Amino acid sequence: MAFGGAHSNSGPILVVRSATRRFGPVVALENASLSVDRREFVTLLGPSGSGKTTLLRIIAGLDEPSSIVELSIGGADMRGIPANHRNVATVFQHYGLFPHMSVGKNIEFGLLVRGRPADERRRRAREALELVRLPDMFDRRIHQLSGGERQRVALARALVTEPEILLLDEPLGALDERLRREMQVELLRLQQKLGTTFILVTHSQEEALTMSSRVVLMNHGRIVQDGRPQELFEQPRSKFVANFMGIENVLVGRVASIEARTVNLVVNDRQFTGQLLTGFTPAPQEPVFIATRAERVDIGNGSSSSRGLNSIAFTSSLSVYKGTHYDIELSTPLGTLVSRQPKPLQAQEGGVALWSSDDCVVGPIDREIDLKGCRPQGRNE
Amino acid sequence: MTASEQLRAAVERERMILRWSTAVAVILGCVGIILIYGPIVWLALMSISEQPLTGKPGPFTTIWYVKLFTDMRWFDPLMVSLAIASTVSVLCMFTAAAIGRVLPHVGAVGLVILSMILIVLFMPGVMLGVDFIIFYRILLGIRTGVWSLILAHFVWAFPFALLSVIIVASRFDTRLLEVARDLGAGRWRCFRSIELPLLLPGILSAGFFGFLLSLNELPRSIFLRGGITTLPLFEWAEAASHSTMVPLIYGLSTLITLGSLVLTVLALSLLFKRETA
Repeated sequence: MAFGGAHSNSGPILVVRSATRRFGPVVALENASLSVDRREFVTLLGPSGSGKTTLLRIIAGLDEPSSIVELSIGGADMRGIPANHRNVATVFQHYGLFPHMSVGKNIEFGLLVRGRPADERRRRAREALELVRLPDMFDRRIHQLSGGERQRVALARALVTEPEILLLDEPLGALDERLRREMQVELLRLQQKLGTTFILVTHSQEEALTMSSRVVLMNHGRIVQDGRPQELFEQPRSKFVANFMGIENVLVGRVASIEARTVNLVVNDRQFTGQLLTGFTPAPQEPVFIATRAERVDIGNGSSSSRGLNSIAFTSSLSVYKGTHYDIELSTPLGTLVSRQPKPLQAQEGGVALWSSDDCVVGPIDREIDLKGCRPQGRNE
Repeated sequence: MTASEQLRAAVERERMILRWSTAVAVILGCVGIILIYGPIVWLALMSISEQPLTGKPGPFTTIWYVKLFTDMRWFDPLMVSLAIASTVSVLCMFTAAAIGRVLPHVGAVGLVILSMILIVLFMPGVMLGVDFIIFYRILLGIRTGVWSLILAHFVWAFPFALLSVIIVASRFDTRLLEVARDLGAGRWRCFRSIELPLLLPGILSAGFFGFLLSLNELPRSIFLRGGITTLPLFEWAEAASHSTMVPLIYGLSTLITLGSLVLTVLALSLLFKRETA
């Protein structure tokens, strides 16, 4: 079997410690640290300009960090080692297929460079083509391929060298919706089959959730949260994380009182109750966010003042059909809240939105909690 | 007239204008082509006419071609010209490739260097010939002869050669080099396997341009020839001296023109060949 290089040695396959990259006055990546285990599928998620591609390029050796404490791949120090001497391979968003070579020659390139004999190159390139389900494309010209086929060829070309880590830089960005979903499943299948470590860069929250068991969320050049997708949903470490992960209802208020981990806060003269994030202890009057997912918001018709229940009246609503459910946008004095319901609501009908305080997460606005301890970093988002 | 009739009339008017302007453009284009190729066709006709110096075609004969290949005084100048042109061609390929592959990717500096090189194109050839002889011979001590001719022809042909490489190099996607490095290729392998093959059409046409421009160069050669006689110098001298060679020049020029035409078509088709083809 030519694929799935068996690495017996344990320990993380990748360690990045305190990587910083400056472009003139712009800090593209600030003090980023990341440790990835073998066979992990990690997603670097973030908006454009968040530094995720810069981090990927530093791992690939295509960019040099301005400063870095540690960079090791497979246990070996890779600081200052150029890309062509690192055993990682990248699938680029632009694919970067060589237009003057056939599909087969493109895939063979990494082996040619490594001085493998012609018959071995040919055999392994054919195996790689079968792996990406394009078995009859060996002699095709690049310009004869569709977008999805190019994507697969780029993937085969990167995998044929048996890299320790496969880096994917927004590889699905140029594909249409149906192909994207197909390739997402394809990548998952490949990763499980080969057991290679995959690091995927994307700006799509949905893609990150579909693909990976671990999401590293970045913003303004910094890693803001690193964890399982559920953690990012249920314990967003900042308002940015809550918003970016698509938590529908995020309000901003001030702390009124704290009882154990339950906090009362005031949003525009209205009282709400929620649960503090682990590791977060706000000062009185500190501005905080309170976040609730749409499926946790119920709709009732009388005002309720029962303890542990948040409520707010709405005057009208808009029901948006989502295929399996409706997202009902409720017009409230605090703006639009979203409730997920199996049935639509009469637009003119008013009512009360209700949700349990146990489903509310309360976190900091203008600082992020340190992931390991409670040390505030005191930086603006 | 109703509104709809007015609209139809207006559309009909627009169509007429388009039809007429197309006709005018085609006619002007034909006039242009006749002005360019007329003399060449005339030259070919003269070369197979009995009395070429009268300027009237016919009666037709191959006698001048037969004489051309019995009186071979033009052969040595042709060989000299071919040797010089080949050298200039190779020089052009190497230098244009070395410079042209970088210029499109270094921003404003590239533009400045390119304009410095292209300005030479706008200087009168005879004047440059005189300049060269003063500068090279008197200041640098280069003797006139084959090498001064090669140098002058190279200076003349280089901007064209450079442009051919730049046309291709500016279309070259430098990200491909990054991809190759990522796949493990060193710098030399990147150049040899990726950059060179993709720039090759431009480099080859640089060679063709260098060859053709040198082969047909006269104004600079007049001053820098030393004791050397190139083919254009030979033709020029013979045509000016009313010698018996004159009728032969028609035949010779026709052959050279045909040869140059083939090379030019080759060079242009290489240059504008689609990368994906």
